[in-house]
Amino acid sequence: MGLEPGAGLEQGAGLEQGARVGEGPALDVDGVGLQFGALWALSEVSFSVGLRELFAVIGPNGAGKTSLFNLLSRVYEPTTGRIRCFGRDMAGLRPHHLAGVGVGRTFQNLGLFPHSPVVDNVLVGRAHLMKSGTVRAGLRLPSARREERHHRDAAMEALAAVGLASVAHRPVGALPYGIQKRVELARALAMEPRLLLLDEPVAGMSRSERSEIVDLVRSIHATRPLAIVLVEHDMGVVMGLAQRVLVLDFGRPIALGSPAVVQADPEVVRAYLGQPLAAELAGRAAGRTPAGGLAAGSPRGPVPAGPAGEPSGGGAD
Amino acid sequence: MLGVAIAAVALGVPFWVDGYWRTTFAFVVIAAIGALGLDVLTGWTGQISLGHAFFLAVGAYVGGYLGAHQGLSAALWIPAAGAAAGVLGAVAGPAALRLRGLYLAIVTIGLVYIGYYVLQTWTGFSGGPGGESLPPVTFGSWNFARGVTVAGHVFTRDQCYYYLALLLLVLAMLYVRNVTRSTLGRSMVAVRDRELAAAVLGVHVARTKMRAFVISSVLAGVAGALYGSFLSFAVPGDWGLVLSIEYVVMIVVGGMASLWGPVLGALFVVGLPALLQNVSTTLTFLSNTTSGNGLSPADAAEIVYGVLLVLFLLIEPGGIVGIGRRIGRQLAGRFARAGGGAGGS
Amino acid sequence: MSTFVPLLFAGVALGAIYALIALGFTVVYRASRVINFAQGGLLALGAFVTSWMVLDEHLPFWAAFVCGTLLTGLLGLAFQLWVVRFAIGRPEFTIVMLTLGLASVIGGVLPTLFGNNPRSNGDVWGASSVHVGSYQFFWVQIWTIIAAIVVLLVYGAFTRFTKYGLAMRGTALDPEAATAVGIPLRRVYATTWFIAAVVACIGGVFLGGYPSTVNPTMGNIALLAFPAIILGGLDSPTGAIVGGFSIGVVQEMVQGYQPQHAAWLGNDFYLIAPYLVMILVLLVRPYGLFGSRPAERL
Repeated sequence: MGLEPGAGLEQGAGLEQGARVGEGPALDVDGVGLQFGALWALSEVSFSVGLRELFAVIGPNGAGKTSLFNLLSRVYEPTTGRIRCFGRDMAGLRPHHLAGVGVGRTFQNLGLFPHSPVVDNVLVGRAHLMKSGTVRAGLRLPSARREERHHRDAAMEALAAVGLASVAHRPVGALPYGIQKRVELARALAMEPRLLLLDEPVAGMSRSERSEIVDLVRSIHATRPLAIVLVEHDMGVVMGLAQRVLVLDFGRPIALGSPAVVQADPEVVRAYLGQPLAAELAGRAAGRTPAGGLAAGSPRGPVPAGPAGEPSGGGAD
Repeated sequence: MLGVAIAAVALGVPFWVDGYWRTTFAFVVIAAIGALGLDVLTGWTGQISLGHAFFLAVGAYVGGYLGAHQGLSAALWIPAAGAAAGVLGAVAGPAALRLRGLYLAIVTIGLVYIGYYVLQTWTGFSGGPGGESLPPVTFGSWNFARGVTVAGHVFTRDQCYYYLALLLLVLAMLYVRNVTRSTLGRSMVAVRDRELAAAVLGVHVARTKMRAFVISSVLAGVAGALYGSFLSFAVPGDWGLVLSIEYVVMIVVGGMASLWGPVLGALFVVGLPALLQNVSTTLTFLSNTTSGNGLSPADAAEIVYGVLLVLFLLIEPGGIVGIGRRIGRQLAGRFARAGGGAGGS
Repeated sequence: MSTFVPLLFAGVALGAIYALIALGFTVVYRASRVINFAQGGLLALGAFVTSWMVLDEHLPFWAAFVCGTLLTGLLGLAFQLWVVRFAIGRPEFTIVMLTLGLASVIGGVLPTLFGNNPRSNGDVWGASSVHVGSYQFFWVQIWTIIAAIVVLLVYGAFTRFTKYGLAMRGTALDPEAATAVGIPLRRVYATTWFIAAVVACIGGVFLGGYPSTVNPTMGNIALLAFPAIILGGLDSPTGAIVGGFSIGVVQEMVQGYQPQHAAWLGNDFYLIAPYLVMILVLLVRPYGLFGSRPAERL
């Protein structure tokens, strides 16, 4: 693969997104830096993501991946640079505007509401599509009931798409971790995003769960007119999935390109892989190891120092 | 079946008990309306407010002013009292709800102080420190103060207030049930559980809090209007922080984020001091005076509130409703086992 | 201008009490992220216990003061060990409500044990005063200011130079990291509750001095100290002190000047003046002058 953004990625014409091609790339990150006190969690990060691209950001723990994601979600304000989403400058948008712009996301540490049923969790992702006036809701006007039914159906469809229709009415907090991760995915889909941000979607999962998620992400990308940006610690997952990869180390981009190109980059090998993994990577580059081979929490390479500067600590990354 | 039983008890109670308890139960039902409102804000949306007394006072005095000075019917001044409290909630909301968590709690204490000051100072409206008479509920020729005769049966004053409050409580419960099952309700829970995640998922956090705050204020206003009218006389000190805290105790003890919790909590918080007062003549450790030494019923109630608040929070955060659910599950489990055993043998 | 100096002095004395109360709030807040609504109750309790030991048990004032302070501190400690500890890790709401429960219990116990009548705090100064030029200053106010300054200095030294103090600061910055480097969180929490109760008692005893009294509702002053901590920022001891003194001075100035110059505002305007100042500050700086926005993690 190894495609450039834009070129050949806009075959979604005819779908509703086709009309918006002229708006520019799904994501355009230009010279972005993020400073916390004296530390630069990110500096000079630039990339753009095509309208139907599957793009991955990887890096060791503390490389700034989660900081980057929180910038994209408007949780942090970039210190330098600019982020555009479908041609729209994100400065001035509040987090709750994102859903309306077409950005859906999942959370690394699960952003679920544990006491609510699964389907209600998914429906929260559609809040921006619904009217929530106190009179409408409290009197259950016919229009409110119609709206509720319509969106409940849509939420059930999203759950069916990830294979969870059967647990729709269970409280989400009581379900196993792997299932909860899929609920998040369903919710992000229910937001009807044009840009889907996935924050470490396979973190903490077993090997089989992991390959299920990888297949799911691949089929979402194949069947829906959206761009996906995926942050992942596990290089194996990314290499089998993404069209292009950005590698961060200590908050700086060190490589950007197709998985094959990135894997061959000596700086990536040095920063990210270090010792035993280099061999494994070489093996995978030759096509022998299936995706999803690396353990979560794999060694972070030869650099002995702690995380360079994510404010929430390396533990959150 | 449970519903029918509850309805029968709720309708029948004022005929089975004496005047003392009829009055108490009318206060219980009135308080339940206000507690339901606070539960929308605190239980469902997770915003701690200690300013509920302010909105109760707004309802009481606006209702009283419109009823006594403007001569309006209760059919107008009760909704107007709710609306006035809602408007003030909408005015105070944007400033208060910018703040997260405990900052909000403190700012709402400020509301109580400001309300107290206004009542003390604006004597034309509130009667000032000397207090003010608040008018009885009237509908046309019905005057609740004199009792109401319907089809030959005379309803006493407390029965009239009880049934009116019960009607409004049922309407309020239906309303809150609908809200909590709607997208607004889901957004409130999302804001309560994970505010930032909710925002990123497209929930308009400020708007959601604002709506919860307004609903809470309106219900407090309605409850306050009834409460003031039933008291028939109020001084500014009646609407202090203690009243706010009583409402918080109601929702915690009853069970937060549940429809019946505020009702059970109101029954408990209003009923307990009445019970202690009632038995203080027979229990020797309770003195029957409010001044001087010894354990007065009011102080005893305060101690019991405090202890129960602590016990519920530590042992059963779901409140009385939580205990009920737990017992229900155990019974269900036992029935299931018994049924399974019978089928197997 | 002859009223200005006495008002300023009275404001500083009142502010000293607010600063002590605010410090008590801040100490607990920094470690546990909760507001201790029982702070006012502990203050009244300390004042009552001290007064009782002097007036009824005939202990010398200073001995009673020390005993009262320790007893109140131990009560704070006991509440943490036997109640709050079981709620650590639960939502902050739970712990806040627990402190409301304690406040309620204290509010019921005090009149039961000591009656509703106001009483003297039993101090050694009474109404004695010192004259400087044409001004008269009460000794109890002078000692209030001195005591507050001493407490604040001791607290500052404690947090900077002792093991526990450093542990408390570490915990305030990042509880997880503090655990990781071996700070015993449980002892830090216990220490903060002890300190908060101790400063509450000190504040209470001085607050009950002439011309005020010790009475069951004196704890309500803690509610007036809220604007002080909001003004300074919940998590900043410096802010608590600055906020406390500012609010004290504002309140006394309003009480002194407003009746002549803005009588239409009524008799109780001084009570809400601190809250109005607080609201103005919050409109400009939502988390106070020295505070930081409560963090939320994704």
